[in-house]
Amino acid sequence: MSILVTQNTKVLVQGITGKEGSKVALQMKNYGTKVLAGVTPGKGAQEVHGVPVYNTIAEALENHPGINTSLISVPNFAVFGAIKEAIEAKIPLINVFTEHVPISDTARAIALTKKAGVRLVGPSSMGIISPGVGKVGQIGGEDPRGVFSKGNVGVISKSGGMSSEVSWILTKNGIGQSTVIGIGGDILEGSTFTDLMEDFEKDSQTTAVVIFGEIGGTYEEEAAEMIKYGRFTKKVVAFISGLFAESLPQGTKLGHAGAIVYGDKGSYKSKINSLKDAGVIIAKTPDEIPQLLK
Amino acid sequence: MLLYEFEGKKLFKSCGINIPESQLIESANEAITIKVPLVLKAQVLSGKRAQYGGIVKVVDQSKLKESALALFGSSVNGEKVEKILVEEEISKEDDEYYLSFSYSTETRGPVMSFGEGGTGAESHFAGASRDKGEYIHSVDILTGYQGENVPKELKDAAIKLWEVFIKYDCELAEINPLVVTKDGKIMALDAKVILDDDANFRREEKFPERNLFGRPPTNSEIEARKIDEGDHRGTSGSVYWDLDGDIAVIAAGGGGSVVNMDALVALGGKPANYTEHSGNPPREKLKKLTEIVLSKPGLKGCWFVGGTANFTDIYETLMGFVDGLRIVKFKGPIVIRRGGPNDKKAFEELKIIGEKEGFDFHIYGRETPMTATAKTMVDLAYGK
Repeated sequence: MSILVTQNTKVLVQGITGKEGSKVALQMKNYGTKVLAGVTPGKGAQEVHGVPVYNTIAEALENHPGINTSLISVPNFAVFGAIKEAIEAKIPLINVFTEHVPISDTARAIALTKKAGVRLVGPSSMGIISPGVGKVGQIGGEDPRGVFSKGNVGVISKSGGMSSEVSWILTKNGIGQSTVIGIGGDILEGSTFTDLMEDFEKDSQTTAVVIFGEIGGTYEEEAAEMIKYGRFTKKVVAFISGLFAESLPQGTKLGHAGAIVYGDKGSYKSKINSLKDAGVIIAKTPDEIPQLLK
Repeated sequence: MLLYEFEGKKLFKSCGINIPESQLIESANEAITIKVPLVLKAQVLSGKRAQYGGIVKVVDQSKLKESALALFGSSVNGEKVEKILVEEEISKEDDEYYLSFSYSTETRGPVMSFGEGGTGAESHFAGASRDKGEYIHSVDILTGYQGENVPKELKDAAIKLWEVFIKYDCELAEINPLVVTKDGKIMALDAKVILDDDANFRREEKFPERNLFGRPPTNSEIEARKIDEGDHRGTSGSVYWDLDGDIAVIAAGGGGSVVNMDALVALGGKPANYTEHSGNPPREKLKKLTEIVLSKPGLKGCWFVGGTANFTDIYETLMGFVDGLRIVKFKGPIVIRRGGPNDKKAFEELKIIGEKEGFDFHIYGRETPMTATAKTMVDLAYGK
């Protein structure tokens, strides 16, 4: 079994009538993912690529009670409302593709999902793919088949582009993936490395995990601590980017919103040191990863 | 966006936080209405302002203009002083406090930090983690901050600062120092506010572009940022910084771009700029960005680099790059490494264009490691 996206995954797309929403619905269907319904307020009673559209999640659920995953692809100002609606409908997995969500909205959404006991992945998440099984979101684009392949390595990445690049490097070297997750590179994220490592620890298909991290925040350090204290026992190879960014004046915005360092906290050195201290193997370039997994 | 002290204080005042009487001046010739003793405070973004001479006390009215002139002519930690906040001097009790609200990746929500204030106090908090728990308190964003974990007399000010934090969508709202005046008022003597740019759409208050590198933005930076204005199809140019080097870089993806810059710099390559594009920007955006990136004199090479895109159309973006190249007629070595939708079609076309139009293309697809092409770029640019 993979994690998050399995044979049982049944997807709702919030914002399905939008440009990105309709494109991603088709992509997911083409990859064999069950896309049961879409929601756009005021645009119900039509179809997008053969997927029925409803005005509300409640309506969609009435007609498709099997829905267990929601992909949110709506403009940033509408994201919080969309998440709230999905939480109220008790959809257990909510994946937010939209970028530039205000941090206070994300904080509120995280607090609400914790209370409701549902899973949030994102914002700014490229998606989740379990190769050969299905995908949620834009990850892998129109044809993930060449880049992703089924196997035993889990990939967790702050960067959507790098989740594909890393998977491609693995595939090229004959290493398949169980599930690949773009968690997003914002300061606050619904699911972090440790949240997903908990799932990977329990997943029998996964034998090792690759972490693509960046400077900023504490998610990499938390992963290191989890490993150090034996709460994650499978092999981990990590790659951390952002050394260059640290040479620029503090507060310079580049890359992802979360990739910002104040003082020593969240610095490249802090992350590398804590991961090394936990026995994690560090890849100096992404291309070293396959060899280090062996 | 990091605000200047005077901007932050305006937000404080709007939520009822006491601040000293003040006046903002942009030239030493402006009449100062604040009475001595007063403080001249250079409005710069760098921290450690006091340490670099950015704060000048004036007791003698006859020395006021002279002091203002001297401060206007100076630089604070490399940042030229263009505005001065003139403030009444506050007679206060000895205790100084630090108070702030920000977001923590550890609690994944807002936190309130409170402790002893004064110069250097932020460092307790900036570098603080679990072991500094005594200073940092988690706040439930759903119920809001209600005055917990500060002394009774500061409760009101703390609640007002929370109001600032939420109302204006801040990433940080910080008072250091927060003081008690001799007449018993709680007052913010300084303000540090970082606004969440992602919430600009719902904030009425607008603030002008600022000098992040301690210098005004360059023409290229201004022009690059215009590319995305009013056009939400992908991003191309909204993140652009001029650097001192000689290798032009057009990188893709917020994650991949930084990975590649790391690789280039590690090999001794000197980037002329940082820029990233992502989210499938249309061809014309890449054309404009290319023109800007390659407008610099003395460039020794150009690196167009990205990982394996999920949904950015490689043909469209690379053709936009070529459109730009045709205008600037860049003749140095051009190393291209990219993967993703329509990449093969793009590479076939590029080969033809390169031969026909005399561009020195070195084209690599997803089979070549992204960071390996950093070495190719450095070797070609510096003739190794």
